[in-house]
Amino acid sequence: MHPLARRSTELGLVIMAGVITAAAYVLASLGKNATIPPIIVPFFVAMLGLLILAHLATRVMARGADATLLPLAAMLHGIGYVMITRLNDHLAGLQTLWSFIAIGAYIATLIVVQRAPDLARFKWTFFVLGAGLLMVPLVPGLGRSVGGAHIWVRVGPINFQPGEFAKILLALFFAGYLYERRELIAASTWHIGPLRLPEPRHLLPVLFAWGFAVVVMVGQKDLGSSLLFFTLFVVMLWVATERALFLVIGAVLFGGAAYMSFRLFSHVKDRVNIWIDPWSRYSGKGYQIVQGMFAVGDGGLGGAGLGQGHPNLIPAVQNDFIFAGIAEELGLFGATAVLMSFVLIVGAGLRVAIRAERPFEKLLATGLTALIGVQAFIIIGGVIRVVPLTGITLPFVSYGGSSLVANYVLLALLIRVSDSTSRRIGELPDDPTINERYAAWKLRRKIRKDPSPTRGSGIGVAP
Amino acid sequence: MNKQIRRLAAALLLCYVALFVQLNRLQVVKRDELADNPNNTRAVLREFDKPRGSIITADGLTIADSVPSAPGDKYKYQRRYPAYDLFANLTGYYTFAYGATKVEKKYNDVLTGSTSEQQLRAITNLLSNTDNTGTVKLTIRSDLQFVAKSALGEREGSVVVMDPRTGAVLAMWSWPSFDPNQVVIHDDKKAGEVLTLFNALPGKPTLNNAYQERYMPGSAFKIVTTSIGLENHVFDLTSTFPNETEWVPPQTKNPIQNYQGELCGGDLATVFARSCNTPFARAGAQMGADVMVAGTQKWGIGEDIPFDLPGGAKSQFGTVDDFKDAIPKLAISSFGQDNDLIVPLQMAMFASTVANGGVMMQPYVVDETLDHEGATLDKTTPAVWKTPIAPETAAILNQLMVGVVQRGTAKCCMQLENGIQAAAKTGTAQLNALGQPERSHAWITAFAPADAPQYAVAVVLKGVNDEISDGTGGRLAGPIAKTMLDYALAHPLAGS
Repeated sequence: MHPLARRSTELGLVIMAGVITAAAYVLASLGKNATIPPIIVPFFVAMLGLLILAHLATRVMARGADATLLPLAAMLHGIGYVMITRLNDHLAGLQTLWSFIAIGAYIATLIVVQRAPDLARFKWTFFVLGAGLLMVPLVPGLGRSVGGAHIWVRVGPINFQPGEFAKILLALFFAGYLYERRELIAASTWHIGPLRLPEPRHLLPVLFAWGFAVVVMVGQKDLGSSLLFFTLFVVMLWVATERALFLVIGAVLFGGAAYMSFRLFSHVKDRVNIWIDPWSRYSGKGYQIVQGMFAVGDGGLGGAGLGQGHPNLIPAVQNDFIFAGIAEELGLFGATAVLMSFVLIVGAGLRVAIRAERPFEKLLATGLTALIGVQAFIIIGGVIRVVPLTGITLPFVSYGGSSLVANYVLLALLIRVSDSTSRRIGELPDDPTINERYAAWKLRRKIRKDPSPTRGSGIGVAP
Repeated sequence: MNKQIRRLAAALLLCYVALFVQLNRLQVVKRDELADNPNNTRAVLREFDKPRGSIITADGLTIADSVPSAPGDKYKYQRRYPAYDLFANLTGYYTFAYGATKVEKKYNDVLTGSTSEQQLRAITNLLSNTDNTGTVKLTIRSDLQFVAKSALGEREGSVVVMDPRTGAVLAMWSWPSFDPNQVVIHDDKKAGEVLTLFNALPGKPTLNNAYQERYMPGSAFKIVTTSIGLENHVFDLTSTFPNETEWVPPQTKNPIQNYQGELCGGDLATVFARSCNTPFARAGAQMGADVMVAGTQKWGIGEDIPFDLPGGAKSQFGTVDDFKDAIPKLAISSFGQDNDLIVPLQMAMFASTVANGGVMMQPYVVDETLDHEGATLDKTTPAVWKTPIAPETAAILNQLMVGVVQRGTAKCCMQLENGIQAAAKTGTAQLNALGQPERSHAWITAFAPADAPQYAVAVVLKGVNDEISDGTGGRLAGPIAKTMLDYALAHPLAGS
């Protein structure tokens, strides 16, 4: 497929996602109130406009990028949005606002980050920002505790979860740091008995970053994020060094940490006990997960139909348990469609990583994709009892501004890496970016004003 | 690095396969197990989210229906009872937390559209998205029901009007009643409190006293005793009974008295019309327990009435063992005191049987069930329950009951409009022991016109504090029966 045909594919798929969302919206309204929502036309126009805006931004600023990532995200976003409107009118209004902000953030990221490799230079900035964001909820007066997890920050009327953004910043840091030192780490010149380990000084910053994140989040009782960060770290280290030893070390570290927290923290112990036997804890801490399983079971093959189930019986269904609501009303078919969407996003993201030529972009794409794939697995698995439940949002689907905005930023970065690769491998002419055009224009003007032969002659941009 | 990325892809795919497998387990394999979990309320909730059909009266008034709830309600439909308390004890109620009663319970499948016949008929319009809920049409006439309510007023008691020829119940009202709308509110806790209060109120407003309660019948029971005497040739119209104030049965020194110790006697028509006690006490004692018990059983006393509403009461006379070596007890029971308990509906059926030439029809309140398009699903065919007496006996009883109206205990109050002749029997069941303030159930059961009966009625006023005489039942309950018969005769159901 010609790289430019990708954009037409993307447009078609994005419109399809929009139509599916609008149809689901009508069905949910019919199911719930037996009326066609009066605002369907403005809703459809606004939503499709928003998606087409995102598509146009991609077409202008990342025209060589993968064609499936944006439509898949739009699809998940749409299903989540319909579920939220069906669950709670008040939250629906907020989620609409967040959708606009999220698409805005997507476009802004594409504008700000015009060349993926540039990001590597700012790795320490990302580290400091990421670590700082993780610390913010602990600042007295700013941090808030919701549902036992101390991961929220309130600034004026806005609540947000800095951890959602920290995960991207830390992925950027890991990618930048590991691409630089991966050979040194992989060389492993430090011998301990039969083991060859990297020089501690190369590994130390990464270990420190990981330990810091994990400790902070355990302190904030945010187990889902801890698990996500840990996985991200191990996966990126493994991919960067190409040494399976790090997976083994990671597994041992994880096992140790998990066991320690199980022994030390009552809330970790609770989660595991609920996972093993939620039934006997129905009237207590197991209520949410049991109600979630009732909802999933009730969905059966075809589901109760949008607006016709009772997902509101599940506490916090719009956040962590939105997948249970989808499985109830859309059944096995709809829930599988959501699973498939994530599998396809993971596939597309890792294809971007494989196609990428530069290690930094490879690592970044791998890290970002792993974030989405693992996060979705952790929460869906938690809801349907494949793994212990740890509170975390379902990317693009759950209610929540921070999550939606952060995941669209993440998507924009993936799109940017994908586009960079297309240019790099020559599928597309590597046109100058808008920033570069602007710099060139400024330079040309300067040269015109001050045509000194001593400078500027070697700098030029192909017309 | 590509090798590792591919392995990562495979690992993540495996994770998602695990999710897919578990999803299949929950949604397909363990689905029923999850649905059967006692904590899972979704199945019941689902029923509450479906529309539910209406209950209508014979004249087409909707007395129970479902309308979409206000937005944001936890259930999609709100059950309504537009006539408030008027039909509460026929429709019953339908609640999420406290179950259903009466027609709402018995005809739940029709109302939800889940009978196999309805499912079958709905297949053709599977795509047109119309609901297939059924309608239950009662034999009750809303106008008669309202007249019954007005006539009874705020006196505890029951009024039953039926068609003696078919067994169709045309009105069935008891006071106190209740407003079922207050029980079907979607606030389960509040509904529970209301229901608890209703159930605790005196007079049992949530019970349909007309068929779920039974009361001592007093002299109205003499219809049964007389029929047994006639059928067994113990006496006939030519028999005479001694003129006496009291009679001392064997095995006791306590005399049985007539009302207010009056001198009472004469031929059968006279003692029946005046409602003397001693002749029937003597007859019962003379016939013995075997004959009396067998005779009452022919009237269905002691048996479940084959009525189409659930939870009915059984009338009672007693068993042969109850009366073994207890002739005084048998004698007293023979004129409707002591052991006897009669369901008001069955009292109406006594008059109906006499009116219907000795054939007792099965009583029913559901005329037909209709599907979502108004086509008949099931129509009740009138059926004979029992034939307690021969037509000749019925004719004599008819004549005796006419006598009650012409010159007996109902003379005061049962002279119908337009000179139509009614036939009746009154009853005054003494509840107080000797020396206590007088308290009685006042009864009347009647039918009209006497020569070609169309309507039968039974009225009971519970535990009234009034002077007890042979005329109490007729004086208190009679006017209500007259109102019912007058109205029904003047207003036949349009189109029938």
